[in-house]
Amino acid sequence: MIIVEGLRKEFRRVLAVHDMTFTVGDGEIFGLLGPNGAGKTTTVRMLAGLITPTAGSATVNGHALGEDSQRIRGITGILTESPGLHEKLTARQNLAYYGRLYALRGAELRRAVDRYLAVVEMSEHADQRVATFSKGMRQKVAIARALLHEPEVIYLDEPTSGLDPSAAKTVRDFVAGLRSLGRSIVVCTHNLDEAERLCDRIGIMRGTLLRVDTPAALRRHGRAATVRVELNGARGPESFLDRLADLPFVTGAQALDGALVVELADPAHETPDLVATLVGAGARITGVHEDAPTLEEVYLQLVGEVGERDLNLLPAREEQP
Amino acid sequence: MRPAYVAAVFVKEWRDLLSNRLLLGAVAFPALVFAAIPTGLVAFIQVNNLDPHQLGQIHQYIANFPGIDPKVAAQAFIVTNFMAYFLLIPAMVPMAIATQSVVGEKVARSLEPQLATPLEVPELLAGKTIAAALPAVIATWGVFALYGYVNGAIADPRLTRFVFSDVWLVAMATLVPLICLFSVLLGIVVSSRVTDARTAQQIGGFVVIPIIGVAVAQFFGGHATFSMQQVILGDLLVAGLIGVAVIVGAWAFDRESILTRLA
Repeated sequence: MIIVEGLRKEFRRVLAVHDMTFTVGDGEIFGLLGPNGAGKTTTVRMLAGLITPTAGSATVNGHALGEDSQRIRGITGILTESPGLHEKLTARQNLAYYGRLYALRGAELRRAVDRYLAVVEMSEHADQRVATFSKGMRQKVAIARALLHEPEVIYLDEPTSGLDPSAAKTVRDFVAGLRSLGRSIVVCTHNLDEAERLCDRIGIMRGTLLRVDTPAALRRHGRAATVRVELNGARGPESFLDRLADLPFVTGAQALDGALVVELADPAHETPDLVATLVGAGARITGVHEDAPTLEEVYLQLVGEVGERDLNLLPAREEQP
Repeated sequence: MRPAYVAAVFVKEWRDLLSNRLLLGAVAFPALVFAAIPTGLVAFIQVNNLDPHQLGQIHQYIANFPGIDPKVAAQAFIVTNFMAYFLLIPAMVPMAIATQSVVGEKVARSLEPQLATPLEVPELLAGKTIAAALPAVIATWGVFALYGYVNGAIADPRLTRFVFSDVWLVAMATLVPLICLFSVLLGIVVSSRVTDARTAQQIGGFVVIPIIGVAVAQFFGGHATFSMQQVILGDLLVAGLIGVAVIVGAWAFDRESILTRLA
């Protein structure tokens, strides 16, 4: 479990991140979503024990950041923004090197290397030099490297970057599988679709966390969810508006293009009652669709809100030159 | 410092080095050139049976080798005077390897994944230092041994004894590894601040200037070789410089600054 409280990082006079407070539970996939320079990499580097926070605190599976960084690095697997492999070594030699750094030895090391080469479908390229690999193949080896020592906490920076759709799905399925093993996983991504499909909760950040919630709850941010009810029959949608006005959970309704557009606070729970009421009133329903804003709309709205206001406080880009 | 981690870095670096034929060539080539020039001169004198008085100013210096045949004395002067250049190998070669290693990793962005493991920075640097210094030490010692035996074989066995003098054996055992270490540390310090291996090598190359100066002064001064006191003084001087380089290196190769200064 990762517990973060008020984390802040400054590089000389540049404020990279501030007031970062969140938790990631065991078996949870937490997405960090934000534009370039939002501080995602800085946050991950602090939590992985690579750089020291300027202020704030965090514990990673009970180990306090700054006091036990070596142990934190030992239980952490990290997929960095760039694969960062050793070009002259083979895939197997790369993994074996990192396995030794994670204290794997002998048969245990060989088993782990073989297993994770197979997981990322790179067994047949195991003894080829990394310099000959495509971007996607390098990414696969880097993913294997991050998982090799069965880490309790995993940070994945753009895990499916450079992968073809099939390989990307394999990686997503594998990451989702790690959830059931109780690992705490943080995924940094620009890929909203991936975040929505993979993450249990998403933190949208720009210098700090702007909002943390489940993907479904984030989509409802800022406006009520609407349900569009398609009708077919002699009675027009206007004839049902009075009946809908009596329902306590309906916050608004209108007839639009031969359909009813109904605002609900919690569509997942209230739609069945809405449908039952309309059918009871004689409506012939041909379709019901939830019309929530996309995650992209919510993301752009949230990021845009802080954009101009805080630009003077934030780095123009990720902190590394 | 944990030996297993240093060994892991060393093995990785060594594999990397062995796969880089150009760099391996750079290790062996200078040593062979420095040995080949005087050996060629000795062979030339031997084959042509030259009188030392035909060898320009060299005949002035054969007095440094009293009681032996003037031709052998001239050969001994040549053999011993070029030996200062053996100190250039540990100054030049490890720096090329170390700068290539650090800058190469910065460019490939492979430092961050390593620093994200339980590996500590001193362990990383120790592994890199040994891997960069060892080829130069082995090359210097190997060519030094070859130099002594080959010159003895083609000219006179006494040349072997002049090469393997107490002073030079001590210099090889102490000064060569120390210069290697200093060269690697300087390479690492410079590399941590730049993102181009050639720039690092050019800046670090200043270390060879004093050694060239000593060699040239020695040659024109006509002194056959160093004294034991000079070797020990050299050891102390280089050891002091290593101490300074370790302090500067620890500051320059800080985990955070390396990560945030990546190219």
